[in-house]
Amino acid sequence: MSLVPLMILPLLGAIGVAVFPGRRAKWIALGVSTATFLYSVVLAMAFDHWHDGGFAFASDPPVGWLDEFGITLNMGADSVSMFLVLLTTLLMPLCIWGSFTAIRERIKEYFAWMLGIEAAMIGVFIARDLIFFYVCFEFTLIPMYFLIAIWGSTNRAKACIKFFLFTFTGSMVALAGFLYIAWQHAALPGGEWTFDIARLTTFAATGLSATEQAWVLLALMTGFAVKVPLFPVHTWLPLAHTEAPTAGSVILAAVLLKLGTYGLFRFVLPMVPEAVVEYAPVIAVISIIGILYAGLICWVQEDIKRLIAYSSVSHLGFCVLGLFALNPLGVQGSVLYMINHGLSTGALFFLVGMIYERYHTREMSKLGGLAKRMPVWAFFMVFFVLASVGLPGLNGFISEFLCLIGAFTASADNAAYPGVLGPWYAAAAALGMIIAAMYLLIMTGKVVFGPLKEPAATNNSHGAKLPADLTFREIGVLVPLAVLCLYIGFQPKPLTDALEGPITQVLAVYPETVRQHLAENAPAIDELDRVILTMTETDSDRNKGADDG
Amino acid sequence: MLGSFAATILPIVVSSESAVVDVPVAQATDAFGWAALILWLPALSTVLCGLCAVMKVKSKLPGWITVGLLGTSFLLTLALFFSYEYENPVIIHALQWLNISWNGEGETVQFIANFALYVDSLTLLWMLFVTGLGTLIALYATEYMEVDVGKGYTRFFAGISVFLFAMSALVLGDNLVMLYLGWEGVGFASYWLIGYYYKKPSAVAAAKKAFIVNRIGDFGLALGIYFIWHNFGTVEYRVLFEALNAGGYSTETAGWSVRAIPYLLMLGAFGKSAQLPLYVWLPDAMEGPTPVSALIHAATMVTAGVYLIARMYPVMLLDEYALPIVAWIGGLTALLAATIGMAQYDIKRIFAYSTISQLGYMFLGLGVLTSFGAAYHVFTHAFFKAVLFLTAGAVMHGFAGQLDLRKVSGLRHMPGWRIVSWTMFYGCLCLAGFPLITNGFYSKDEIIAQAFITPGFGFVALGVIGLITALFTAYYAFRVWFRVCAGPVHFEPGDDHHNGEHGGGEFHPHAPRLVINLVLVVITIGAIASIFLGDWVLRGVGDSTAVYPSPHAEGDGFWANPHRWMPWVASAAGIGGILLAWYFHLANRSAAERMKNALLANGLTRWLPTAMENKWYVDELYHATVRAPLWILGHFLNLFDRYVVDMFLVDGIAKLPRALARTFQPLQNGILQSYAVSMAGGLALVAVLVVLMPQFVEWVRSVMGGAG
Amino acid sequence: MMLAAIENLGSITLSHYIFTSALLFVIGLIGFVTRRNMIVMFLCTELMFQGAAIAMIAFGRFHLNASGQVFVIFILTVAAAEAALALALVVLLYRRRETLSAEVWSELKE
Repeated sequence: MSLVPLMILPLLGAIGVAVFPGRRAKWIALGVSTATFLYSVVLAMAFDHWHDGGFAFASDPPVGWLDEFGITLNMGADSVSMFLVLLTTLLMPLCIWGSFTAIRERIKEYFAWMLGIEAAMIGVFIARDLIFFYVCFEFTLIPMYFLIAIWGSTNRAKACIKFFLFTFTGSMVALAGFLYIAWQHAALPGGEWTFDIARLTTFAATGLSATEQAWVLLALMTGFAVKVPLFPVHTWLPLAHTEAPTAGSVILAAVLLKLGTYGLFRFVLPMVPEAVVEYAPVIAVISIIGILYAGLICWVQEDIKRLIAYSSVSHLGFCVLGLFALNPLGVQGSVLYMINHGLSTGALFFLVGMIYERYHTREMSKLGGLAKRMPVWAFFMVFFVLASVGLPGLNGFISEFLCLIGAFTASADNAAYPGVLGPWYAAAAALGMIIAAMYLLIMTGKVVFGPLKEPAATNNSHGAKLPADLTFREIGVLVPLAVLCLYIGFQPKPLTDALEGPITQVLAVYPETVRQHLAENAPAIDELDRVILTMTETDSDRNKGADDG
Repeated sequence: MLGSFAATILPIVVSSESAVVDVPVAQATDAFGWAALILWLPALSTVLCGLCAVMKVKSKLPGWITVGLLGTSFLLTLALFFSYEYENPVIIHALQWLNISWNGEGETVQFIANFALYVDSLTLLWMLFVTGLGTLIALYATEYMEVDVGKGYTRFFAGISVFLFAMSALVLGDNLVMLYLGWEGVGFASYWLIGYYYKKPSAVAAAKKAFIVNRIGDFGLALGIYFIWHNFGTVEYRVLFEALNAGGYSTETAGWSVRAIPYLLMLGAFGKSAQLPLYVWLPDAMEGPTPVSALIHAATMVTAGVYLIARMYPVMLLDEYALPIVAWIGGLTALLAATIGMAQYDIKRIFAYSTISQLGYMFLGLGVLTSFGAAYHVFTHAFFKAVLFLTAGAVMHGFAGQLDLRKVSGLRHMPGWRIVSWTMFYGCLCLAGFPLITNGFYSKDEIIAQAFITPGFGFVALGVIGLITALFTAYYAFRVWFRVCAGPVHFEPGDDHHNGEHGGGEFHPHAPRLVINLVLVVITIGAIASIFLGDWVLRGVGDSTAVYPSPHAEGDGFWANPHRWMPWVASAAGIGGILLAWYFHLANRSAAERMKNALLANGLTRWLPTAMENKWYVDELYHATVRAPLWILGHFLNLFDRYVVDMFLVDGIAKLPRALARTFQPLQNGILQSYAVSMAGGLALVAVLVVLMPQFVEWVRSVMGGAG
Repeated sequence: MMLAAIENLGSITLSHYIFTSALLFVIGLIGFVTRRNMIVMFLCTELMFQGAAIAMIAFGRFHLNASGQVFVIFILTVAAAEAALALALVVLLYRRRETLSAEVWSELKE
């Protein structure tokens, strides 16, 4: 088995779509993406590292690309990659199927770009070479740029430029970080240029000084935080989401944002452990600010799509928080969060798109009581809202709970996996649970329930006459997602078991690093305590003196 | 200074030795594998209702499916009850759920939260009335909801099934995460069913409010679970109680992170069981169909908080102030809700406030260390409050949604309403605590008497508050009955009249038919039967995690032992309340109005009836202090995000390159010749550099070398 | 040095060719920069081409291989094609503005 067809199939498909007549474009695209999905399922069945965290399907022998710099096209997948690849390949046919009626112009181009972005996203998850990873990481921007620029809504010009420049600038900085590691590796006595992820990871974790690690962390965080996105570099997201076509928003939320968290998991955690331990509290605080800040902003949004976009900012805060808990519970939660957020938020964007296709508005004030007109839609809407809110029994709960409990127990007195966060971080983040319930249910209350309210003129400029409620095709898009949400909600064990291996490997260095860090910083804290103590003592002495006097 | 003051004033209720409670040790068993069906049957019922919805079934089929499966679930619970031996709790594995393990310090650490049933007598007590009343109320609803057959009927029964699944998970779960699943699950079912009439904005708002307020409680519960995991390394009851049994945790040695647990669990319990300060959602929840109010918002779901505290009793003892606070919150809620209940006109709302008030009694019972009294009151209250709500529902059903007690009168003289009138009469008697023949009398007495016995901060005052509340309770319960069922026959139809099936003609109230009457009679019989089940509950609680010996009275004389004088005093309070209600609402109906007007006329007392009728303005207070500031903050942040973060920071930085470009822009003047000049100049420069390269390199070397 | 070169006309060295080529190039450059007429400017660029060509042929001869001449033939071909194109463009531009001055097209900068 090989991973290559995962990328080749969609690329060939993209060319095929561009070559064949426009009428067939959507069917070819659907067929190709379904074939890719089936192939990934076959791969998952053949995958034999579900339990030990190893990499399978490695390119053997290595595929050279720019040999003088040691750049290769090597691929390989561990269980984290496999899950994210499966998520991508599952969502793409749904996205393509879901945009059959929404896209009415330049059809060939649209589906070609869709397949192109699929290849790039898969490439990110299976690359075992930093430059290959980076190229795929950046290549996702181009199709998305065109998806927004051509098929977006009114403000698309600004949105696509901001999206492109913002994320591109961020990842350039990340590239600098990568290059620095590779350069340092090559500069070793007897060193050579290589961009092999495994080798560079080992090198960076052990060979870089604390200061170097801090700078590399800063560089990588800049790139990945923009992609995640974390506060305050999130502003491209609401804009891009609001303007992108439905399928674009789905891909953006479900997969593109995960590139950031995947990068954090794959590179930041294993490459720069010392710096991570040093700065985890800072990153955690940023995540928590994001959770609460974006949550409160969601509350006052008028545009449903914008609301869900901000909710992504809030939700991914949990994901990053769990990652920097640096213990198995938190990281399990975080990786599961990547999958679960993809399923539920992706579905929410589909649902908003279905409304937009019918009413040409996303304003909450113009819509209301749609449960009466579209009961099936209302059912799915409530279902995915609840999955997003984190109702136990659905997928969102599992990951949110694990992230929070992970952050909570990430304190110094945790024996097996000491951490640098603790109860207060988790408590502050958990307030996000309440806020999430608030904004999502208020939105549901306005749009789904209450007296029926529809925009007066719902003229369908495209001429695609859609029935009031969902069509078979639209239900077909949502059902697989709903089934997965329920399945993960009740049976997370297969996933958590499979994730155990890679997570243990990533976290292998942490207990020791954290202990060292704590040991180094403990005296300083004691010193501070002593100073404060003497200060208060003198204060009280002085007061006593005053009392006596 | 303040600390020492508190230490002397507050008697330590729970001393460190007594914190070590011997909780029965649970054992895993393979024997009762079928018991998992109690949990899965309601889930199956949900799925089947879902299928009915997909197939667009337009008959009562979903109703009967639900009743059948819930009934089976009840029978299984009974079977489990009879096969359970009162020795040790048993754990029955059902399904692997969250189960994560990792290596820590050479040994495998596991986070285990499976679907497994923890069966002890407390579980069985709860499950019996949950599934039993669930079945009966679902049966009642098959008739009550028949107007909606083909419309919301399926949705309604799917909601009921989800609720019972979640409630079973909550009660049966063997770990706190499963409890949390049930906890949020019942909250969701309640959201679903309160919002059943989703076209009504008030129903939607109430559903939303219920979910969000509950989420605040859930926040506390979740944090409590994290703290328990953090301190004890488990979320399973078995391991947790073993750790507590093993000792090492006492109120004196426990750190703050252990002491925080009882308070966080309390927050969860107060949210779910509608206590101060989180009770505001329950009255609004009456927007749901009446069977929902009866089942979820009176008999079962709202007692989940009591269950949580009872189940976690040994944990609640980890901080000496935790239970006194529970007691005080319970007592104050009981009084506050009773005063509001006295001034409402909507029958269901009166009963809702009475539910809050009675739940207050249960927490008071837990707080003053009579977990038996609390559990018994939960049990008796479930029956009589179900009866009261179901009769109120029958009235609402028969009079086109009329719920104003001023607009229906003399029900017992109308044909076909006899059973409703007299079952409601018995329900009111129970609520009022009428001596000897009502179950509420026994359970309430137990709690109030214990308040006088147990030493604790102001517990005697709480006992007095309990008695005053008993008087108020009797008054508002019979205010309803004397107004609605007694007196001259008179009625006005409710708002549903015009769009109901009655058309525009003369309004005829339609009396309940067989099923509703049958259910009312059966539950009333259950209420009577529960009088005799006190000993059974006592024994059951004694075998469960809620075991804690209540302090006994010191003396044995009549006045020395509150358990002896309480029946007389409480009876007096109950009968006094009934007589008051009789005078104001049957014998001399205008007197109530006159008294209110007199109070309103006097400037000094005007606030009292106004504030009571307006629910002490608590909703308004929360709106002003919590919701409004957050809402303003949300708007502020939205603007901040748009203008400061996005426009100023992001776009501002993006403008820097453009500003830089502007400085070099003049070079691009469009005159061909100037380009040529710069090209030639550049060429010349390069040429010079090439020629002078050796010298240049030399120079760089010297500079670099000098620096290095 | 210049006089010396003229005196020794009988023995023409590489420097003579380089000198001629540089002279041609500079004349072309100065012409290009100073004139406004597009056709003249174009002719000046041709002049610079020829300057370069002479240098190449001279070096080719100096190193006794043919590559210099090959290069020049190539340049001439391209220059011919380019001349056709450029003159066509000039004609078109003239038709638009009725003048051959390059200045009138300076707004093309944006």
